[in-house]
Amino acid sequence: MWAAALIAAAIPGLRAQEHVVRVTPAELTLAVGQKAQLKAEVVDVGGRPVDDAQVFFFSRARRAVSVSREGELLARKPGTHTVIARARIGGKRGPQATVTVTVPQPTPAKVALRGAPKQLYAGTTVRVQGEVLDENDIVRDDLSVALASSDAGIASIDAFGQVTAVAPGAFTLSGTGGGLTTESKIQVLANPVRKIDLTAAVQTARTGDVIRFRATGLDGNGAATDVPVHYSFYAAPDDTLGNAATGQIQQDGRFVAETPGLYTIVATCGDVTARTTVRCSQRFPQKKKLVKVGHGLVADAHTSDLWVWEGIDGRDYCVTGTWGANGDALFWDVTDPSRIEQIAKITVDARTVNDVKVSEDGTLCVISREGASNRKNGIVAIDVRDPRNPKIVSEFNDELTGGVHNLFIDQGHVYALSAGRRYDVLNFQNANAPSRVGTFQLFEPGASIHDVWVTDGVAFSSNWRYGVRLVDVGNGIAGGSPSNPVEFAKYAYPSGWNHAAFPFTSPDTGKFYVFAGDEAFPYGLNVENDPTYPRGWIHIIDFSNLKNPQEVARYEVPEAGTHNLWIDGTTLYVAYYNGGLRVVDISGDLMGDLYRQGREIAWFLPTHPKGKVANAPMVWGPQPHKGHIFFSDWNSGLWAVKLVDDKGRRR
Amino acid sequence: MRLAIVTSLALTSMLAAQRDASTLPAPKTYRVYVACESSDEVHRIAFDGKTAKVERKIQVGYQPTEIEGPHGLTVGPNGEYWYLSIAHGKPFGLLYKYRTSDDELVGECELGMFPATMQISDATGLLYCVNFNLHGRMLPSTVSIVDPEEMVEVARTPTGPMPHGSRVSPDGLFHYSCAMMSGHLFEIDATTFEVVRDLQLDVEPPEGHQSVAKPTWVQPHPTKRLAYCALNGKAAVAEVDLDKWVVVRRFQTDKGPYNLEVTPDGEKLIVTYKTAGKIGVWDIESGKELAAIPSTRGVTHGVVVSRDGRYAFVTAEGKGAEPGVVDVVDLRELKKVASVDVGLQAGGIALGH
Repeated sequence: MWAAALIAAAIPGLRAQEHVVRVTPAELTLAVGQKAQLKAEVVDVGGRPVDDAQVFFFSRARRAVSVSREGELLARKPGTHTVIARARIGGKRGPQATVTVTVPQPTPAKVALRGAPKQLYAGTTVRVQGEVLDENDIVRDDLSVALASSDAGIASIDAFGQVTAVAPGAFTLSGTGGGLTTESKIQVLANPVRKIDLTAAVQTARTGDVIRFRATGLDGNGAATDVPVHYSFYAAPDDTLGNAATGQIQQDGRFVAETPGLYTIVATCGDVTARTTVRCSQRFPQKKKLVKVGHGLVADAHTSDLWVWEGIDGRDYCVTGTWGANGDALFWDVTDPSRIEQIAKITVDARTVNDVKVSEDGTLCVISREGASNRKNGIVAIDVRDPRNPKIVSEFNDELTGGVHNLFIDQGHVYALSAGRRYDVLNFQNANAPSRVGTFQLFEPGASIHDVWVTDGVAFSSNWRYGVRLVDVGNGIAGGSPSNPVEFAKYAYPSGWNHAAFPFTSPDTGKFYVFAGDEAFPYGLNVENDPTYPRGWIHIIDFSNLKNPQEVARYEVPEAGTHNLWIDGTTLYVAYYNGGLRVVDISGDLMGDLYRQGREIAWFLPTHPKGKVANAPMVWGPQPHKGHIFFSDWNSGLWAVKLVDDKGRRR
Repeated sequence: MRLAIVTSLALTSMLAAQRDASTLPAPKTYRVYVACESSDEVHRIAFDGKTAKVERKIQVGYQPTEIEGPHGLTVGPNGEYWYLSIAHGKPFGLLYKYRTSDDELVGECELGMFPATMQISDATGLLYCVNFNLHGRMLPSTVSIVDPEEMVEVARTPTGPMPHGSRVSPDGLFHYSCAMMSGHLFEIDATTFEVVRDLQLDVEPPEGHQSVAKPTWVQPHPTKRLAYCALNGKAAVAEVDLDKWVVVRRFQTDKGPYNLEVTPDGEKLIVTYKTAGKIGVWDIESGKELAAIPSTRGVTHGVVVSRDGRYAFVTAEGKGAEPGVVDVVDLRELKKVASVDVGLQAGGIALGH
């Protein structure tokens, strides 16, 4: 009963040595939803109550077990939780006692066998996963399920739940976990397949090309069956010098090679196999490279985003932001990319102008603000009809006071991030008097929006661990509009690094993808003196089925980290921070790791000895424009490069 | 002989001088921590009575390319740890716990939107931090109550929109904060975690969240049942009688009173004038301003007073790429005696041990 007194914490400098808190009961077990009352008193060394002492309670896991200040407990979630009874003696902090509250997991209610078929053909394998569910149909992750076959001569099961049909007959598949057992009767049928017809869509291909193979099991009469066929391959790569894995095959028959060589695809059904071989050659025998055309050095501040546009005078311009500095937006004439010229600067009350965008007609620039001295950040609209004399026309900070990190302008509407978990849609058709017309917010607990990109009436937001959200803001697919944004598709991946998104409809396959970029700094960010080593990659998500998007491919440069991206035609441009600017071929079907497949066309590492961090590439954002690729570099400003054939070796 | 006596006297005198020097108290060094909101740094400042210098810069936060906004600072009662609020998260802000001996991060706890100022109660051992939430719609926000030993939020008490100026009464039994947009002063029972009283600080009750007074800070008096509220929008400081729960005096001040501190003897009130860029020193008894000292840079923000009551350490944010600054004001001489540049947008400040 007085066990709590024994574990009363000693608080240095207080009267913990002289007094203890006694709690009744000292520990207890409660079911979810059950209540209990704790009682506490403070006693001296002789066990006598202390007159001027008071005890209050608090929980160190209030969402799992709550407690009133008077000690009434309510169990909410399973686990072992701690409640503190803390004393005040004479108005000062006194000793405390710890009460352990155990809330057991709900009772297991059933075992489910996921993936268990009704019948199998002999010689084929399926994977079955057993789960224990509680009375609320929630999986008990703390309990495992052991699978067993009633007749190993009919079907065998390995340690990973793979059930292989051995011979015709019936067997019982049982799953045991949490004190429960469930059974499933499975019939093993004789395998009618006597031959496999295996065809390849092509005989030769390039690395990175997705080749489709079709394998059909034929019975003794040559008729097609529905018996599943398993695909595998072996390779004879041209490069035999310690090469790593060389390709990837899916069980729907799609194969992609990463390195040049011969690839033999093997189709298996029971004891019947078929083979066919294809040759995959190097994707780009004619090498290309990116060459510097021009550079506008920014050495006194870090550079953030860029936007390049054709002005109403027909010349080409660019605006860049600044990061952790003086609130500047820099305007450049880039008509001749070899002579990039800074032509104007707008300074606003901010430390970071993280994002900059220009309207489709080239007349209005909007910039985001963070770090305003009056903490009314919001956005600033700038008339750029004459980019040499940009003029601030309005500010909008209503409900955007906490800072706008990213924004987008589309069809007279500005999409501005705020509060970390929503973007507001602002009508800027009259830039002198903007107004809020809509809002899109993530309501999931702890959800956070980082960026938004709008095209064809769809807003693609990037939301860290909540992934990519597709919202109708005028496309019509879900009845949405700028004043009524309607979400219609989403996809999230586990790392929680989703930072940017760019849509892409493949002209070759018709598939609709979203390329989702990571941002991650596991080794920190060096603002001065030293280079930075970010991580992350481009996730390629097939949204062709909006209800069931699939992450099908990636582009991952080793030892580097992604930031912003752009797609033009079938070319992907990636600002790969310390990995520089990367240009990637995304034609055809996409599967696997595009980097390893040799789809990268060229790369460029911008460095400058007078950069904010000297000689340290840190590419922030790319934008192709009229045959050149412009990009901003966090350490060295604005660059223009051009993709050319690599004519050969030189120093 | 004469030479011997002279030598002896000189030696005695020298020894005495050495003895005096050895028994002189070492020069006192004051230390403060300063949060630099737009550079995501905390600077530890040392002041030896003449010169202030940055002893150490501590990079804080976890999202390197975002401005995360370290805002509020406090040092635990025994000085073993210091605590920092980080305003911007994904989306919620954080409370960080650092070990004082080596400024090493030892714990964190997620709070609400834009956690800001905070203090630990000696009576409960708990930390009380306002969730300022300057984002978006001006809805009522909360005060997070944290067990700083385990870095666990144990309660969240709703108050008003944009609560700020989180301060605990000298006896540790009550927590005070001001809701900037509704103009209320809130009193929370530090033990029950419940709001027990609120007081409208606007003379004319505002409609909605349109407080004219815009109170930004509340500072309890160290020895009397009084508290002082900075009425940022009215260029005034209100003196509240905590027993009667009414405003008993209003001091007209310079523009933008923002943070407040009372000297340990309870005689002087230090006011930062954010808009005017000055530091006001007031005599509480007479209600007269003794001095208004320009900050080295604009946007004057936070203030703490040394435990001996001699110096006020005051932050000024600056603007744009201007560095923030810590000004040291001699409260006897009523003049600025030292300054040191720190990171961008210097705001929250706490006394070290």
